[in-house]
Amino acid sequence: MADQTERSFQKQPTVFLNRKKSLPSKKKKGLRYYKNVGLGFKTPREAIDGTYIDKKCPFTGNVFIRGRILTGIVLKMKMQRTIVIRRDYLHYVRKYNRFEKRHRNMSVHLSPAFRDVQVGDVVTVGECRPLSKTVRYNVLKVTKAAGSKKSFSKF
Amino acid sequence: MGISRDNQHKRRATGGKRKPLRKKRKFELGRPPANTKLGPQRIHTVRTRGGNKKYRALRLDHGNFAWGSECCARKTRIIDVVYNASNNELVRTKTLVKNAVVTIDATPFRTWYETHYALPLGRKKASKLTEEEEARINKKRSKKLMKKYELRKKHAKVEPVLEDEFMTGRVLACIASRPGQCGRCDGYILEGKELDFYLRKIKSKKAK
Repeated sequence: MADQTERSFQKQPTVFLNRKKSLPSKKKKGLRYYKNVGLGFKTPREAIDGTYIDKKCPFTGNVFIRGRILTGIVLKMKMQRTIVIRRDYLHYVRKYNRFEKRHRNMSVHLSPAFRDVQVGDVVTVGECRPLSKTVRYNVLKVTKAAGSKKSFSKF
Repeated sequence: MGISRDNQHKRRATGGKRKPLRKKRKFELGRPPANTKLGPQRIHTVRTRGGNKKYRALRLDHGNFAWGSECCARKTRIIDVVYNASNNELVRTKTLVKNAVVTIDATPFRTWYETHYALPLGRKKASKLTEEEEARINKKRSKKLMKKYELRKKHAKVEPVLEDEFMTGRVLACIASRPGQCGRCDGYILEGKELDFYLRKIKSKKAK
């Protein structure tokens, strides 16, 4: 089914793949587990139709979104299935009655359901249980950066 | 206690070193691994946090394996560890861990199939069945009962790769429990795509 690039067989643990062929089976759009993460987030087409296996995906894996929902812009996409986002905010200094710019980088898990993500896109992330040493958030929605539509890039 | 599961000894996300704030605590303790081997059963119980028990299996030879597509589970003897996705060393030392691929004794499943469907499974063409096996398959049944068996026979087909495995008497299965935690080695028989995947991996390892 999926791209079996690992040394063990990748599958969704809740899906039983070996039903007997002769048994009367209800055609269930290709035997895939996916869920609605709630809070009004639409689960992407790619998560339902796709064949990837990702246990940390909020739509097809074993994580639940609860707690905070934050946004950020994509900074780096060099890790496997996780990206670095940057969150900017203003900090108020009382003595001068003025604000100063501050930012924080955050590593968040990016499900393979989101295919067209470029550096600079605005991304909505939701809190989940710790997925690794620094990753506690999972990408729920990607909105393209303003002005990136139909722009000509060198390659 | 030497093994601890704290995060204090790790560096920060920025790479900076962390100075320890406190001594190691009991709730962060870790215990040495079980490394369950194949052999006559030996299980030690461990007293854990809250007074609860964990059954550390040190040696196991039987397990409850399930045949998913037929919805049947039987206790069988584990014969050999054949593949481990994490570490080839664990295959060499025949260590039973979750998600290791093992060969199990196929006879309880064959017995169940033959009594359930009244059809022979994995028998060589020309071999003569012994008395009890004949009796099992061709038991004297009432006409009503025969109708039930005729209905069942419609879905009795087993995939050819599995049938070959039954012929040799050894079936490939995957361990699904954690022997070092629950003291049991349970799992499921590999079928379909998973079976093809692991057969390929085992073959490529042997070819090396």
